[in-house]
Amino acid sequence: MLKSWDINLRESEKKTLLSFLALYLFLMFVILLFVGVLYYVSQKEVMLQSKRMELSDLTNEHIAKLKELHVTFYKNKNYPRDERFNSAIYDSSLKQIFSTTKAKKINLYEDSYLEDGKIYFIKELESYYLGARYIAIEVDDAGIWKKKVYQDLAIYGSIVFMLLLLFGYFLLNILLQPMRNALALLDRFIKDTTHELSTPVNAIMSNIEMIDIDSLDEKLQKKIKRINIGARTVANLYQDLTYLMLSHKIVSHDEDVDVGLLVKERVEYFSLFLESKKIEFNIKAQEHITVHIDRKKFAKVVDNILSNAIKYNSVGGKIDVEVSSNVLSIEDTGRGIEQKNIKRMFERYSRFDPSVGGFGIGLSIVSMITKEYGLHVEIKSTVGVGTKVSISW
Amino acid sequence: MVKIITIVVLFSLSLSAKSVYEQDCMSCHQTMAVKIDKFFYRYLLKYSSEEGVKKAMTQYLKNPTIQKTVLSDGLINRFGVKKPTKLSDKELQEALDEYWEIYKIFGKLK
Repeated sequence: MLKSWDINLRESEKKTLLSFLALYLFLMFVILLFVGVLYYVSQKEVMLQSKRMELSDLTNEHIAKLKELHVTFYKNKNYPRDERFNSAIYDSSLKQIFSTTKAKKINLYEDSYLEDGKIYFIKELESYYLGARYIAIEVDDAGIWKKKVYQDLAIYGSIVFMLLLLFGYFLLNILLQPMRNALALLDRFIKDTTHELSTPVNAIMSNIEMIDIDSLDEKLQKKIKRINIGARTVANLYQDLTYLMLSHKIVSHDEDVDVGLLVKERVEYFSLFLESKKIEFNIKAQEHITVHIDRKKFAKVVDNILSNAIKYNSVGGKIDVEVSSNVLSIEDTGRGIEQKNIKRMFERYSRFDPSVGGFGIGLSIVSMITKEYGLHVEIKSTVGVGTKVSISW
Repeated sequence: MVKIITIVVLFSLSLSAKSVYEQDCMSCHQTMAVKIDKFFYRYLLKYSSEEGVKKAMTQYLKNPTIQKTVLSDGLINRFGVKKPTKLSDKELQEALDEYWEIYKIFGKLK
């Protein structure tokens, strides 16, 4: 029974959870990115390390050619070139003596590095042939290592991300548990209370109906009426709670319901309440407006809106009901509700006025039923002026 | 008239005047067994940059010692260490600048 009461997470809680999830995923992404960059850098270093020996050999070959040129410079001024690499030489003040490299500027402080798809290897000469203290070798990077790194990152990165996502899901569940427990506790409490209410409510209601009110004197009649109002309030609450608990088990009997007649019937039910608060009631209903709906459920919707209109109305206030071809509107002259609270009105246990009793489940039921039948509910309210609830189909 | 002749004479003298490098360096080195360019490349091999080469040459020319020479032991034993220069710092600088310009590597490689 308890399980079928799905946890109804509120908007704000959903927002919090989404924010948590977004933050978690963002953090995980940043960490993964960081690890990925570290992996990339380390693999690059490994590649450079493996290339170093080969590049060092090439450099030594080139140095030998520079030596030869140094000795024969008076007759030969052709800088040695090699198709395997480009090179540049610099004097001790880092001034470029000659260069065949594609790069305009080479970082001579590095030992070897990768830039724009080229690998650079820098060596300091022992003897400065042609005045060259530093020699830089430039070779093309085939990029095979890079492909492998990207492949590894894509595979392992997505595996780790999936695992982290799974971990995040479990974390979220742990986080949700106390909230779920609290809601379950509240639900169970209400369920138990409802169960206990059943017998006394039925007893009171049936006995009151059995009293022949006309045979009583006026004073007693008033008292009985008050008892009747009280009993009906409790009965309403009992029905709401029962509906909440059993809604999934209630079989709908959809039929064409005359909206005007139904509203009048429900107003009749609330007549004692209207009378006790001296509320003026006006109804303007077009005849034979029907909705294909379960009668009891539609009555529940009307009851809840009417009871709110009465409950939050001022003494001597007014309620205007209008039924037209596709709208039923109920307008009161009550205290109204703030704009920011309207959205949350349909959440279960939402209550905005502590001065009036209630569990905050009435509009939640309205929401459930109207959603089930695709009815549109619109609430317009001005604080201190009143509230208008319109149901359109 | 005298003025004009003096100017013309001075002008023609200045045209035919030799630089410090030609007069004070080349005049001797020309006749030497080891040509002056060999010294340049030896300095370049050891001191690399313009600043390093010129500084080392200045120090050596002002106060030549066996320790400072760039020549091999064999050449030093055969020719010995030269005498300190009598050129002023400015003249020496001028001579070295010209020497650098003639033999420098910059802009000559193809």
